[in-house]
Amino acid sequence: MHLGLIESGNSCKIKALHAKDKLLQKLLDMGFVVGAQIEVIREAPLYDPLELRIHNYLVSLRKSEAELIEVEPWK
Amino acid sequence: MEIKVALAGQPNCGKSTIFNMISGIHQHIANYPGVTVDKKSGFFSVGDIDIEMIDLPGTYSFSSYSLEEKVAKEAIINENPDLILNIVDASNLKRNLYLTFQLLEIGVPVVIILNMCDVARRRGITIDSEKMSEILRCPVICASAAKNEGKVEILDILKKTDEIKKNYEEFKINYDELEIYISEIEKTIKVNNELSISKRWLALKALEKDQAIVNLLKADNDNIDEIVSAQTDKFHDTFDRDVESFLASFRYENADVIFHKCAQETRRGELTFTDKIDKFVLNRWLSFPILLAVIVIIYQSSIVFGYKLTNYTWPVFAAIKNFISDITPAADISQIPMITDMAMWLTNSTIALLNYLPIFFILFAMIAILEDVGYMPRMAFILDKVFRKFGLHGQSTLPLVLGGAFVGGCAVPGVMSTKGISDDRARMATILTVPLMNCLAKVPFYTLLLGAFFPKDMSIMLFYISTVTVLAALIIAKFLTSTVLKSRETAPFVMELPPYHMPTFKGVIIRSFERVWIYIKKVCTIVIAVAVILFALLQFPGLSTEKQEHYNQEETKALAKFDRAVKKSTYYDKVDTREEVAELLNLYDGYRAKKMGGSKDVDEKYQAKNPDMYKFLVPKADAEAKKINSALRKLSTDRNRILREQKNDKIESSLLGMAGRALEPISQFAGFDWKINVAFLSSFAARESAVATLGSIYESGKESGEAANADENLRPEERMAKNSGYTPLHAASIIIFMLLTPPCIATMIVVKMQTNSWVWMCFGMFFPFVLALIVSSIFFSISLAASISGLAAMSWYYFILLAIVVILWFVPEKRINWSGGIKGNKI
Repeated sequence: MHLGLIESGNSCKIKALHAKDKLLQKLLDMGFVVGAQIEVIREAPLYDPLELRIHNYLVSLRKSEAELIEVEPWK
Repeated sequence: MEIKVALAGQPNCGKSTIFNMISGIHQHIANYPGVTVDKKSGFFSVGDIDIEMIDLPGTYSFSSYSLEEKVAKEAIINENPDLILNIVDASNLKRNLYLTFQLLEIGVPVVIILNMCDVARRRGITIDSEKMSEILRCPVICASAAKNEGKVEILDILKKTDEIKKNYEEFKINYDELEIYISEIEKTIKVNNELSISKRWLALKALEKDQAIVNLLKADNDNIDEIVSAQTDKFHDTFDRDVESFLASFRYENADVIFHKCAQETRRGELTFTDKIDKFVLNRWLSFPILLAVIVIIYQSSIVFGYKLTNYTWPVFAAIKNFISDITPAADISQIPMITDMAMWLTNSTIALLNYLPIFFILFAMIAILEDVGYMPRMAFILDKVFRKFGLHGQSTLPLVLGGAFVGGCAVPGVMSTKGISDDRARMATILTVPLMNCLAKVPFYTLLLGAFFPKDMSIMLFYISTVTVLAALIIAKFLTSTVLKSRETAPFVMELPPYHMPTFKGVIIRSFERVWIYIKKVCTIVIAVAVILFALLQFPGLSTEKQEHYNQEETKALAKFDRAVKKSTYYDKVDTREEVAELLNLYDGYRAKKMGGSKDVDEKYQAKNPDMYKFLVPKADAEAKKINSALRKLSTDRNRILREQKNDKIESSLLGMAGRALEPISQFAGFDWKINVAFLSSFAARESAVATLGSIYESGKESGEAANADENLRPEERMAKNSGYTPLHAASIIIFMLLTPPCIATMIVVKMQTNSWVWMCFGMFFPFVLALIVSSIFFSISLAASISGLAAMSWYYFILLAIVVILWFVPEKRINWSGGIKGNKI
């Protein structure tokens, strides 16, 4: 399943990244590496983008990008 | 001794605060050619060591994907620093260490500064800096720049630079599986001896396909691409992993190791201060009211309050203006020397723009505060969905608001604040649409037109004016991003939402001054240049001989009138020559200007300067002097009338006037005559001059004598309604043109600064101009043919734009071009 499907308040772990080039590099730099744990904090008031917690900091990601991150539920 | 220190760190790590804390005030900002990112340098001395500190832009990584990263990396390569100070946010250690590992590998000694240690402590994070120093084999200093802690320690380290350099041994990470490929490349590539950077680092960067480094290596290695791809392919075939992903994971794992060995978190899982605030600020229902409140506060404090402050700064400028008018050659009745004319023109043009300085200063300070607090990315987070639909970006919110999304902003800070938008396409679209907003200087123009033609429907018209710009901007942004900007790069919306921070007073003030100073420097120089050109366009070819003769006669008449009135006065011998009259007249006008300008002790000064003539200025009980005074008043009025008529004649026959006339065949479809055209053309210099030009054109009603005198008492809008022969429909068409019209020079200059291209600047000028002409022509012609009233036509225009926006909202978005989905690209 991909990150876009995780409901607010739940956590997951990255299994694979399906992004390429610039987006891939950006995601890696921001700490989206395999095995990293992500908590979905909330959706934006207009339901997109998402607010996430990864490596204990907050980051926002559009849903179209979240769909490229393959995850498995945590706990 | 001189040393060079580079300051590197991730965004939001408090790098600028550290820079401000240790660098002192001797800084300069360099703008890279072709790049809009600044590199700041500070110069200071510690003991007998002169230090140049280079503040690199904040970057998450040292790859070459963003502008900031390119600038930061080039600075390291070209400037060849003796030491890198790596600022690390202690409360966000793990992610910040990711960059630290990349810096350590460069081969230059690194000193780690753990900034915001107080914040970390508050969040229950304790860091063993000694242990960290041991593991990473570099000095680690705890600091808190916001509280001025750590300055001494950092300066102590800087003093020891020489020692550190002597004992430095290159830092290496063992990349396990990747090692053989790294050393393979290291062996193959040839490196210029002058380059003092570690060869291993170059090899690593080449493996990462870092374009800047690959280009650098190309000079000595023609076949670098093959060398690198051979190794990356081999690695991929053997381990089924990409080098970039491998390196990122590896560095994060290392960061994790350091984090676990050196840091302890006692309050993990507890809600932080930031979490608690975000519950309100990013709440689905509260976020919009809060956003609105923030915007209202910015707007009120900068535009409204700042505008009030200009009441205090204006006398300063008025004094400068008076001073210049004093030192330039005096006028001889109705003949003003061209040098005086030009000096006054330049002074007025410059002052018109400098007058906004208080507004800019407050605006820049507010932006700096918002940046420091951490609200900016949240603003983008809230509104991204709306703006993305139209090709813009969440980060476009602030530029549009500053530009005057509601009535009254200024495009200059608006365009300047687009700097941070990471998505290049959206950034360009924002830069080109911000000038469409309603700037403060357009407001008097609207008020004039509404007062003249829509006195009853003023509020509804104002509502249309203030909201229609946003609709138009969204449509135009959508149009631009799907046409001329289509091939521009876009960037993913991966944005950090930093923890909330209290801004530091010093930081805010320094940054606002910096930005205001940039404005003064860049804008003023070019504005003066353009003002000279406009002056020439308005002056030449000048009046015809017959016209000049006509005004000479008028002048003679006025003088004769004066002469008759004062002949019987006992003071006649003081005013019986032309020179004396001219001097007295200038004295009188100067006195009045200063009196009206509100400067103090005008009377004393004039009395001291010229006691003989002063009694004619303020006659008091002297009946004979009163006679001269009243004649003088009449002469002054006559002179001003002649000057005004002369000026208008000059405008009409000038090159700009000709251009206005030349545009008439086209602009007539929009309902504009040449006078409006000239007003628009001259308003390019500064928006204010549109009102001034229109005012001066309609001031001179064709009637003379009593009718003209009656006109003097009318307010400008009444005069315009009476004299212009326009209908409300004309006015609506003019308003629509003005809503879309090209930005003023100052804005164009910042567009040039931000896009770094003359082509885009010209586009930003001509596109709105042509568009405005087309739209208002269609608007006027159709409405005229259908005989719709001005108000109804405006309503139609408004609802048509609204409908287009709604339709565009429902148009499905195109798949974004950088997304992929290839399986097997696993890590």
